[in-house]
Amino acid sequence: MTGWLLAYLPLLASAILDCGFAFSQYVVLRAGVFSVATAGFASLGAYAGALLTMRLGLPPALSLIGSLVVGAAAGALLSIPLARLRGVFQAIATLAFVQIVLSVSLFVEPVTGGALGLNGIPQAVQLWHLVIFLLVLLYLLHALGGSSIGRAFDAARQDETVAVALGISVVRYHALAFTLSGGIAGFTGGLYAFNRYSLVPDQFGFAMLVASLAAVVLGGRISVLGPVVGTAVLALLPELARGFAEQRYLLHGALLMLVIIFLPDGIVDTAKFRWRGAVRGNAAH
Amino acid sequence: MATLRTESLSKRFGGVEAVRGLTLAVEPGQITGLIGPNGAGKTTMVNLITGMLKASGGRILFGTSDITALSPSAVARLGIARTFQNIRLLKEASVLENIVVGFHCQEQTGLLANLLGLPAARRERRRFTAAARELTVRFAMEALADRPAGTLSYGHQRRIEMMRALAMRPSLLLLDEPVAGMNDVEANELGAIFRSLADDGMAVLLIEHNMRFVTALCDTLYVVSSGQMIASGPPGIVMRDPTVIAAYLGDDADA
Repeated sequence: MTGWLLAYLPLLASAILDCGFAFSQYVVLRAGVFSVATAGFASLGAYAGALLTMRLGLPPALSLIGSLVVGAAAGALLSIPLARLRGVFQAIATLAFVQIVLSVSLFVEPVTGGALGLNGIPQAVQLWHLVIFLLVLLYLLHALGGSSIGRAFDAARQDETVAVALGISVVRYHALAFTLSGGIAGFTGGLYAFNRYSLVPDQFGFAMLVASLAAVVLGGRISVLGPVVGTAVLALLPELARGFAEQRYLLHGALLMLVIIFLPDGIVDTAKFRWRGAVRGNAAH
Repeated sequence: MATLRTESLSKRFGGVEAVRGLTLAVEPGQITGLIGPNGAGKTTMVNLITGMLKASGGRILFGTSDITALSPSAVARLGIARTFQNIRLLKEASVLENIVVGFHCQEQTGLLANLLGLPAARRERRRFTAAARELTVRFAMEALADRPAGTLSYGHQRRIEMMRALAMRPSLLLLDEPVAGMNDVEANELGAIFRSLADDGMAVLLIEHNMRFVTALCDTLYVVSSGQMIASGPPGIVMRDPTVIAAYLGDDADA
């Protein structure tokens, strides 16, 4: 039994990291920003953290703060040129950002190690660090969701015209969402670097972008538990369907399409809406 | 409380002049009516005043400040609230939640307190929810306070829009066809509320088609047609103006 559990611990660690990236994606979607920049922020945070320790000899704890700052700063900066874009144009612009970060990390070989990446990063982050990180992040996002920031995000997502008519500066809240998204992805990227020994640019490419987006679409983009459930499903799916290991991505795609068609609000938010509806229905009778 | 003035305000959409040099004043403590046939430029005026459209010419003054070039959110923060002709609610949210969003400009707790979920942020939320509940009592909707806004009837949704606008504690309220599609009883209930708001010192600009309603309620009327002012003054006089009658009922000469 313990042996079985131990075998699954690395899976848990990687699921928590995926969840961190999914939360970075969640924050922007909740505010109505269709950014897919998470993978780029994650890359910047991961490389910043690893390089601060490996090249400058900073202790990992300080380097992680560096990851957070670099990610958040990248988010804040990116929000400025993108302030006038909406919807699919935001997606395209942020996709370009991910590609730029990917190219830079490939071509600035003296700093990033190019395609071979960085190796021998000290493994300073253990599973229990990650568990604490996830709990703190859940608390922060829960608090945020119930606060005036969450209300402003919800208003900006549902109807931007209403939001500005109520005095909510949508540009400012979109910038905040970008900054939070960058900070969360950057910090999670730092944790990733200090948990995995090595970094290569490809880890922060299109596959991560799709995985983070899929976790939020699958789980739900309003409730804080949405990305957790989405990540859990995506992490467990390959384990449950070992026999289909070859068709893993096919399965992924099929599942996503089913969810988009039948549960467009994601698993958690749909369940929540149904539950509310059922409670009201009973109260009415 | 400040007076709203527009001075020779114009708006062109390409070759179409939707608003041509309109000058009007909306005084505190009064209900000012803006009426005119469809396409006269009434909603364009609301969009110009609230900064959602940029004026092609002229000025908009609110009290002593020139608000012509301000962004919509900056205009709202000065105390100008509006409702929408085509109802715009956050349909996923409950009635109370829709109203609470309206308190945005009165929030005092900082970013960090909100981010960390500190008690100050939670206290503020409770205070706003209580104030929102008081508004639902005023609009006779307390029983529906927790229902999702999107599931309610048209008349109720209109009321939610008004409660949300009032949550901003505006000094100027722009109502874009607030009683459209309502029967006389419902309209008169709302009319009484508008009157009490004006009596409390608020400036109210009412855009409406319902002539009886406007004539009974407004202190001053402006009549526009094809973007131009054709009459203004007290309702009793304006409604007898031959140009106004021609604009509404058609000109004998055209027939």
